[in-house]
Amino acid sequence: MKNIIEIKNLHKVYTGGTQALKGINLNVKEGEFCILLGLSGSGKTTFLRCLNRLIEPTSGEIIIDGENVIAAKGQKLRLIRRKIGMIFQQFNLIKNLSSLTNVLTGKLGYSSLLHSVVFSKNEKDVRIAMENLNRVSLKDLAENKIKNLSGGQQQRVAIARALMQNPKVILADEPVASLDPATADSVMKYLGDLNKKDKITIICSLHFLSLARKYGTRVVALKDGEIVFDGTPKEIDKKRFKEIYGEDAEEVEIR
Amino acid sequence: MKKENKLKLILKAIFTDMFIWVYISGSVSFLINHWFEVTIPGLHIVIYGSVVGVILMICGISVGRKMFLSTKRINKKWYKTFWGWSVVLILFITFIVGWILVEVNPYKFFTKFTNTSGIMSGIFNPNLDILIVSLTALAETIYLALLATIFAIPFAFILSFFAARNLMPKTLIGNLVYIIIRTFATVFRSIEAIVWAIIFSVWVGIGPFAGMLALMIHSIAALTKLYSEQIENIDYGPVEAIKATGANTLQIWVFGVIPQIISPFLAFTIYRWDINVRMATIVGFVGGGGIGLLLLQQQQLLRWHNVGMIIWLIAVVVWIMDMVSAKVREKLRGM
Repeated sequence: MKNIIEIKNLHKVYTGGTQALKGINLNVKEGEFCILLGLSGSGKTTFLRCLNRLIEPTSGEIIIDGENVIAAKGQKLRLIRRKIGMIFQQFNLIKNLSSLTNVLTGKLGYSSLLHSVVFSKNEKDVRIAMENLNRVSLKDLAENKIKNLSGGQQQRVAIARALMQNPKVILADEPVASLDPATADSVMKYLGDLNKKDKITIICSLHFLSLARKYGTRVVALKDGEIVFDGTPKEIDKKRFKEIYGEDAEEVEIR
Repeated sequence: MKKENKLKLILKAIFTDMFIWVYISGSVSFLINHWFEVTIPGLHIVIYGSVVGVILMICGISVGRKMFLSTKRINKKWYKTFWGWSVVLILFITFIVGWILVEVNPYKFFTKFTNTSGIMSGIFNPNLDILIVSLTALAETIYLALLATIFAIPFAFILSFFAARNLMPKTLIGNLVYIIIRTFATVFRSIEAIVWAIIFSVWVGIGPFAGMLALMIHSIAALTKLYSEQIENIDYGPVEAIKATGANTLQIWVFGVIPQIISPFLAFTIYRWDINVRMATIVGFVGGGGIGLLLLQQQQLLRWHNVGMIIWLIAVVVWIMDMVSAKVREKLRGM
């Protein structure tokens, strides 16, 4: 399998001097489900956001699907972003619009300026949006406003929105951190499904080791902006766990 | 570095004390002049005040020293300190001077109520004959307020995006655009609509059109500020999410920002119309047309029964507008 993501010596220093990333080197192969572990503040969110330049990296090189992300500007950057779906901890949907409209916004990178500014709904796009909503089992709630949906349902709408982009890669920034364990597992199940059936490469930061073992094909752990572990989920034993999370940490089982 | 700071604080303390004592000596001179008709030259006032201020500052018992240079916490009750009594003196003198300048006269207030008999009888016996004329003028006022609001919306709507901190890029041009629009909005808003009405009644002539232009300018400034503050308060998450889909800036604004602000914008706009109807009356007084102009004419002719009629009509309209706009805004909040 070829590398779909190649990261070389990625640094991020925030104004104020905080070194969030201290030289990350990482290659991700096509079709991997890569779990990011690490304490809050270890740089997971910064890392994920650097990949689609929601945060500007300070230095380094990022190649995604053969395209230089850091050098890209304007239209070029938007075309790269189009290939990268993103899922957020807080879902980041527009709360007073319907699920369907929210899903349709995933297609914006494909539509012409004029077409998208007028709120008209392209018939073909609507059909694809309904298919994607169906994929996350939310077809019946297409016309419901987001604010009337539960957390798990909202995250599934967000997944459907990412699917509209026809993405090669999905970046998921703690997608289940604000959900209960049972809902968390069901949301992860949809992500796992996209990974297996659609061969979408996924990088997903998590806090639950049990979910990492269940869905991840690879685990990368960050600590203070550096990679401290890179291997398979099975390799994480008690000792490794303490290396990542510190001496005092105990694994809490979540089922 | 530390020494510089100390110097700055000493200067601040000295200026504070000089200002305070020049103010006190000025006020005392005003009182002397008012009661004894003895004039004290301005230069003397400044010199006496400054000297007293500096001396007290050096003695270490002044207000300036207390404000800027008191390092130790001394648990002395304020009435046992000199600066405490200085503050009392300032407040006392300000009150006395204020009383004289405003020509406060409780005697008149309690004994001259009968002067209002004309207006009062007018209010309780409004002249129904001018109902039609008044309603026509009133319609003029309501419509001019409505048009002023409608014309203001597109300007304010577009400007507000450029006056929102979170949407403007943190570059030189971004900051410049933000600052220029914000400054203009603040300046235009701080100039009262009544002043704009005076300007426009000269520009396009006395009448409702001048009033409308005045209210429009004021509304653009006010709505730009309200709108842009609303944009600054939106949930930035969806904006980021839409940016991540590869959308361009205009698409981000249309799909990430506008859906979040549309109902608060409507609420503000209706509230603005409500304010404009009230302001339109006042604007009419200085040449803005409508019911205000009619009220001014009738008042100058001392036709109190007509004035009474107009006052009732204005009150009813303002009351209805207030109620309707509150109801609509309440509905919008739930959306």
